[in-house]
Amino acid sequence: MIRIRGLKKWFKTRHGQVEALRGIDLEVGEREFFVLLGPSGCGKTTTLRCVAGLERADQGEIEVGGTTVSSPEKGIYVPTEKRDIGMVFQSYAIWPHMNVFQNVAFPLIKGRRQIPRHQVAEKVSQALKLVQLGGLEDRPATDLSGGQQQRVAMARAVVTEPTILLMDEPLSNLDARLREQMRLELRKITRSIGVTTLYVTHDQAEALSLGDRVCVMNEGEILQIGSPQEVYSRPQNLFVAQFVGEMNFIRGRLSGDGQVESPFGKVRCALPQGCQRGSEVTLAIRPEHLTLQPRAAAGAACVEAKVLTKNYLGDAALLEVDACGVNLRVKLAGDAAFAVGEKAVLVLPPDRWSVYA
Amino acid sequence: MKAIAVNGALARALDFRNYGVNFFAGALLALLTILVGAPVLMVMLMSLRTGFPGEGGPLTLTNFVQAYTDPGTYEILLNTILFATGTVTVTLLFAVPLVWLLMRTDMPLKGTVYVLMTVGILIPVFLRTIAWILLLSPRIGLVNQWARQIFGMEQPLVSLYNIPGMAFIQGVSFVPAAFFMLAAAYRTMDPALEEAAYTSGVSKLQTFLRINIPITLPAIAGVMVYLFMTAIAVFEVPAIVGLPARILVLSSLVYTSTNPPTGLPNYGLAGAYGGIMLAAGLILAYFYVRLVRQGKKYTVITGRGYRPREIALGKWKWSALAFAMLYLSMEVFIPFLVLVWTSLLPHLRLPSMEALSSVTLKNYVTIMDYAGTRPFINTAVLMFGVPSVTMLVSVLVSWVVIRTHVSFRGILDTMAFLPHALPSILLAVGLAYLGLAYRNVFPVYGTIFIIVIAHTINWIAYGTRTTNSVMIQVHRELEEAGKVSGASTPRVLGRIVLPLVAAGVFNSWIWVSMLSYREVTMALTLYSRKNVVISTVVWQFWGNGWVPEVAALGVILIAFALIVVGALKLGFSRLGEYGSGS
Repeated sequence: MIRIRGLKKWFKTRHGQVEALRGIDLEVGEREFFVLLGPSGCGKTTTLRCVAGLERADQGEIEVGGTTVSSPEKGIYVPTEKRDIGMVFQSYAIWPHMNVFQNVAFPLIKGRRQIPRHQVAEKVSQALKLVQLGGLEDRPATDLSGGQQQRVAMARAVVTEPTILLMDEPLSNLDARLREQMRLELRKITRSIGVTTLYVTHDQAEALSLGDRVCVMNEGEILQIGSPQEVYSRPQNLFVAQFVGEMNFIRGRLSGDGQVESPFGKVRCALPQGCQRGSEVTLAIRPEHLTLQPRAAAGAACVEAKVLTKNYLGDAALLEVDACGVNLRVKLAGDAAFAVGEKAVLVLPPDRWSVYA
Repeated sequence: MKAIAVNGALARALDFRNYGVNFFAGALLALLTILVGAPVLMVMLMSLRTGFPGEGGPLTLTNFVQAYTDPGTYEILLNTILFATGTVTVTLLFAVPLVWLLMRTDMPLKGTVYVLMTVGILIPVFLRTIAWILLLSPRIGLVNQWARQIFGMEQPLVSLYNIPGMAFIQGVSFVPAAFFMLAAAYRTMDPALEEAAYTSGVSKLQTFLRINIPITLPAIAGVMVYLFMTAIAVFEVPAIVGLPARILVLSSLVYTSTNPPTGLPNYGLAGAYGGIMLAAGLILAYFYVRLVRQGKKYTVITGRGYRPREIALGKWKWSALAFAMLYLSMEVFIPFLVLVWTSLLPHLRLPSMEALSSVTLKNYVTIMDYAGTRPFINTAVLMFGVPSVTMLVSVLVSWVVIRTHVSFRGILDTMAFLPHALPSILLAVGLAYLGLAYRNVFPVYGTIFIIVIAHTINWIAYGTRTTNSVMIQVHRELEEAGKVSGASTPRVLGRIVLPLVAAGVFNSWIWVSMLSYREVTMALTLYSRKNVVISTVVWQFWGNGWVPEVAALGVILIAFALIVVGALKLGFSRLGEYGSGS
């Protein structure tokens, strides 16, 4: 379990102080897979490194497994090597002067959780089996492929059975196909050993598929914490809507009765709190929630649209359409038969809109 | 069909551009082969001949028999190994902790220490040696004078005239070079390797011992081999400290064979002694290249821009700074202060009120009377000639090595690196022999140009290393983008390549200029009345026992170097921001 309260961190740069973390509060439950998601420079890696003790926080408390490991106010700072953690680095950080066995055994022989020598071999081979590298014990580290290094790093991080596992963009150096395969495997491994995991990524697909919960960060602040479904279907603000998945944005104006005036006429939807009548708002809708039809159907809100471009992806087709002077992206099934220049009817489902002030 | 194929081959062979590049690269290789090969060949030739240079006579092994049946030779070999080992030990003792402190910890005043290390390179080794003698000589040394005065000691407190003393001065002088080499290796190390150990629960000490040291070991070993190779070849400390104490090493043995205090020069014997130096140099250079290659296998470049957190030293902060300052005072402060103090007095004495009252600038004024203007003119020739020729050849060689597909570009690169393995004293002796024996084809003996040639050969290795790295940094596609835009090859070179490499090349131009300015070994070996330079004047003054004048000229020498480098670094610091290789 990890608990972070009011975490703040400043970095000194040539241009003065920069606030890297502006007060982070979050809790990761027992055995939970928790993903920190955000663009580069949003503070997600800094948060992770503060939990690891590789950075020293300037303010706020960090608790790991019920013990406070960092609290500048109380003068507590447990150094990295005394924290009960395992960590996988973006560069894997496989020690090049050791072979696979020595890399994985190192935490057991020299680390915090030393075990009797005769048990080391068994533990190491268990860990290597877990990551499907059994039998590669004697391979020099410099002879491993990227994917294999990744697995060794994983084995080394879990071999001590730490309370929490920290991962800093572990898949970003792999090629696309291997990345997807490793994603599934990572999930399986962390489930099977039941470790609490804090995972950092800038890849939203990775975040949605891996996390029990996802935390979206930007500019040193947390913008939303929730299950992948919540974050994707109900983004709490414009940034999350923009960052997680594709989204169409349309300018609108609030008219009194719970409706928004838009280029498509009045749209009825749930409004954010504290909005004044007449104020400017942004309407958002996902491309896959829009559909095109050859002609208007009864009972649905429809507008005329013209196909501007079509991007065929095989399983899907991304269309750019012009409707009432607004450019919108529409995601249809791959076999949709609309051609560029064709006129059609755009269906706007009323329950799919989000509104942001 | 066949006719077309033949035509194609012919066209390719006659393709002017290809032909031109190959011809050009071939000419460069020939030039380098002559420059590097001629002195080596001369050393071999003179080892097989007796008598004076140019006397001819049959080839003989007499010199080798004489050299290697003398038990004294083996004593000298032992001295050389002890001196070199001691030097490397002293250097690493300072350099390794300094690299760690400056690269990874929050030691205060890091920037200042860094700059002062560079300043240390500008103080010539022979001046530092002289300053330490003025301090620690058993007879005249200030420390021993002081010990006699205060404690009434009969015996000198310390003496520099022994192998540990020599190793100490030489070792201290090598630290900046070792530091910059190690720092470069350290920079390419992925900091996550260290952090992975911490997150595995391994203590800082264990991490340093089990991770940092083993990973940097190839780099440290490479530096060790390089230093050992250089320590065998150095001449200044063995000459200034070793010769009066009758402690000979190989380099001073070669020198005394060709410039004996009494009697006739024996080039044959010098060649026979030089053979073993040459062999050792080549073998060590081979190991060095192999270690560097192995070290590259260990470096992982993450491409991620974050800087590892500096290790907080806490209460050890000031001890760390004290350590750095201790080193800097041995390298920079103490030698410089001793020289300044000595230069202001009529004769060397301990600081006191009485001594202060006799402070004078007379020594600075009389230098010109003793030295005349010739050394200054000659030194200026060196400072402009050597770097210009060296950098021109280096840029051309690097362009062929990095940018073209000439089949023998690897050989060209190796040939340019070879002078690293060639001890400068042998290079100079070889050139001297060439100039003496073949006076009519190579009529430069006794002129400043023979020193220019010697220096150029010596620093081509350094020059090409820096131009190689500068060229690599200019991505090939930048050049190709220029060509695709329709610019001609000369215009691409002039408008794109040249501006991008200019800063880096200029940077090493300055360094070669400064190194040539303070060089003494080759200048002394090739010395004649006409080609005297400032460094050889200092050497002569020292030989004559004109201590205050030596100090005054030394202070001028150092001050001038500091002003030149400081002004250029300040003036061109913006230019250096892009493209600079160092």
